[in-house]
Amino acid sequence: MDFAFLGSTWLTLLSGLPLTLKLASGAVSCGFVLALAVAAMRVSGSRLLSGPAQAFVFAFRGTPLLVQVFLIYYGLGQFRPFLQEWGLWPFFRDAYWCALLALSLNTAAYSGEIIRGAIGSVPAGQIEAARACGMGRLTAARRIIGPIALRQALPAYSNEIISMVKATSLASIITLMEVTFIAQKLISQTFRAVEIFVCAGSIYLLVNVAITRAVWALEWWLSPHLRARPREPAALEAAHA
Amino acid sequence: MPEPVLSAGAIRKRFGHLEVLKGISLDAGAGEVISILGASGSGKSTFLRCLNLLEVPDDGRIALGGEAIAFKQGRRGPEPADRRQVQRLRQRIAMVFQSFNLWSHMTVLQNVIEAPVHVQKRPRAECVAEAEALLAKVGIADKRDHYPAHLSGGQQQRAAIARALAQKPEVMLFDEPTSALDPELVGEVLRVMRQLADEGRTMLVVTHEMGFARDVSSRVVFLDGGRVDCSGPPAEMFGAPPTERFGRFVQTHR
Amino acid sequence: MHAVELLGFGPAGWGAALLRAAATTVLVALLGFAAGAVFGGLAAWARIAGSAPLRWLADGYTTLLRGIPDLLVIYLFYFGGSAALTALAQAFGATGFVGVPALATGALALGLVSGAYQAEVYRGAYLAVHRGQMEAARAVGMSTPLMFRRVVAPLVLRYGVPGLGNVWQLVLKESALVSVTGLVEILRQSQIAAGSTREPFPFYLAAAALYLAVTTVSTYGFGRLELRTLRGVRRG
Repeated sequence: MDFAFLGSTWLTLLSGLPLTLKLASGAVSCGFVLALAVAAMRVSGSRLLSGPAQAFVFAFRGTPLLVQVFLIYYGLGQFRPFLQEWGLWPFFRDAYWCALLALSLNTAAYSGEIIRGAIGSVPAGQIEAARACGMGRLTAARRIIGPIALRQALPAYSNEIISMVKATSLASIITLMEVTFIAQKLISQTFRAVEIFVCAGSIYLLVNVAITRAVWALEWWLSPHLRARPREPAALEAAHA
Repeated sequence: MPEPVLSAGAIRKRFGHLEVLKGISLDAGAGEVISILGASGSGKSTFLRCLNLLEVPDDGRIALGGEAIAFKQGRRGPEPADRRQVQRLRQRIAMVFQSFNLWSHMTVLQNVIEAPVHVQKRPRAECVAEAEALLAKVGIADKRDHYPAHLSGGQQQRAAIARALAQKPEVMLFDEPTSALDPELVGEVLRVMRQLADEGRTMLVVTHEMGFARDVSSRVVFLDGGRVDCSGPPAEMFGAPPTERFGRFVQTHR
Repeated sequence: MHAVELLGFGPAGWGAALLRAAATTVLVALLGFAAGAVFGGLAAWARIAGSAPLRWLADGYTTLLRGIPDLLVIYLFYFGGSAALTALAQAFGATGFVGVPALATGALALGLVSGAYQAEVYRGAYLAVHRGQMEAARAVGMSTPLMFRRVVAPLVLRYGVPGLGNVWQLVLKESALVSVTGLVEILRQSQIAAGSTREPFPFYLAAAALYLAVTTVSTYGFGRLELRTLRGVRRG
């Protein structure tokens, strides 16, 4: 095996990692805020709010992300005069912003459903107890439903974050020079597909393993109530005996 | 007659085609301990849940300390006119649930101080001191930093009672507080409830515990088919059941 | 030109081409899903019953393929396959570049990716099968292969229906990535039409609508299937 080639390829590919991470973290943050809104609309009980949210989720989960990227980047370009008039053209002309928008909307649709499911899984009795002691909706959402749902949503949400890291590779198709773009360029120059695949794949894998570990740690930290019972200090036990 | 603490008049509630409550009236005076008995399906839990608006009655009046809850006609039937009024009144009526409903992500102490700190906005240090005293009172002071999942059912229900007491309520509602417990754990919860009754708290207790109804309560109300079948002091009620139905009910429940 | 005319079936319309492309999308997705069933089945079997190295291999496969962008896998097969074929052709004296058939590459890549997800579904479904059912099969004297064919496989498929439905949707959507190899499926056809008419918006919108139609029909189909299999499971 040609280790010199592997090493230099790995370093070349690494130069695309900042853009990959920027896209992924940007999309996950914007998408999360949107997802909260989507989930809130869907559980609102008002058809006027839940209807549009449901249509949004249906459209973005039922179509390929790449189609969404093309529709925003190439499709909206057709309305250039209109976008220029509104001062939106600099945004939609830029592949970076278009990719970020498509990724954010896409993850918002998936995460919105994850959050909605998590809210639905909060035991009704605990919500009732919150109402019974006089909590308003906002307080109950912030103090009771939010924390329990967050813990519940984490495993599925960590999968969604990893999906987003993988999905940033689609930005390469609209000319953004992230890891996959560089990999594709290198492959078409050298035709050493396997080596380059191994290098690029290992970069993504490392990022995703790091994310998985981080979420595990967060999960552990957030769920003392699901861990084994704390050991009572011997002195305390003796005092009670 | 002095103003009742909690007053409910002609409460009606239907679920779909089923009319569960067909006009129930009940006044609770200060310090009264009222046991609400009835077969399952008699509407006793629904009635209790109407009192703090966990169920919104279709018709009737509810007043706490003379303050009547205002209703308006909503799209799907009557609803409270002012959500803030309901939230205010709920702070003065505490509820203990059959399935405890302790918040699973909070320790026992956090459960107890949650409403005082975040709903009633009282100083935290004061609430913690009170909570510790309450936990000692119900006998689980050493469990203050445990999570609900780590407690037995009896301990959980006692924690829930401490949580209810922390609201400094004028009335306490108990919805079958011992029904979800193993038989050997029922006693510890009933002991705490008896202690509260002795302190002169106003309590409405939906229960199947005939012993508690007979020995602790000041009044027994028997619901049947969504109506009050009969009511009276326990000695009279159990001594000579005023209706045939109640007589049969007492027969079948020990 | 008007969008209705562009997407219609007249002489200037791309309607027929788009529908043909939709058939290609379904075809490549079906082939990918089928290949994934083989990969996934093998990986699940290795993880349940395999020896340590096999288990390790299967674990690596599912972790790897679920952590790496599918687009990279497609590039690997497309360029890697071409390079291998070219080298082979040169060995036999031919010159120049030999491309691999896009349909086969796409199906294989989709199969490899979806196999990683299907493995999880099969394994989860197998673990859900009650021990007692297998003991009962042994008790009536079934051999292992017979028990697998008559008892385990049918139950695993039943329990796996919802999960497999999700994987199928995934494959359908990922099949759009195969457009980079030049396979004329929905997205590639839309790109061609958009380029030739300079009207990208209606065509990409049409592409989205076609995918939505296929995924919606699939959701409905799997929903029906789930109802049927559930009924069977309950009847036991």
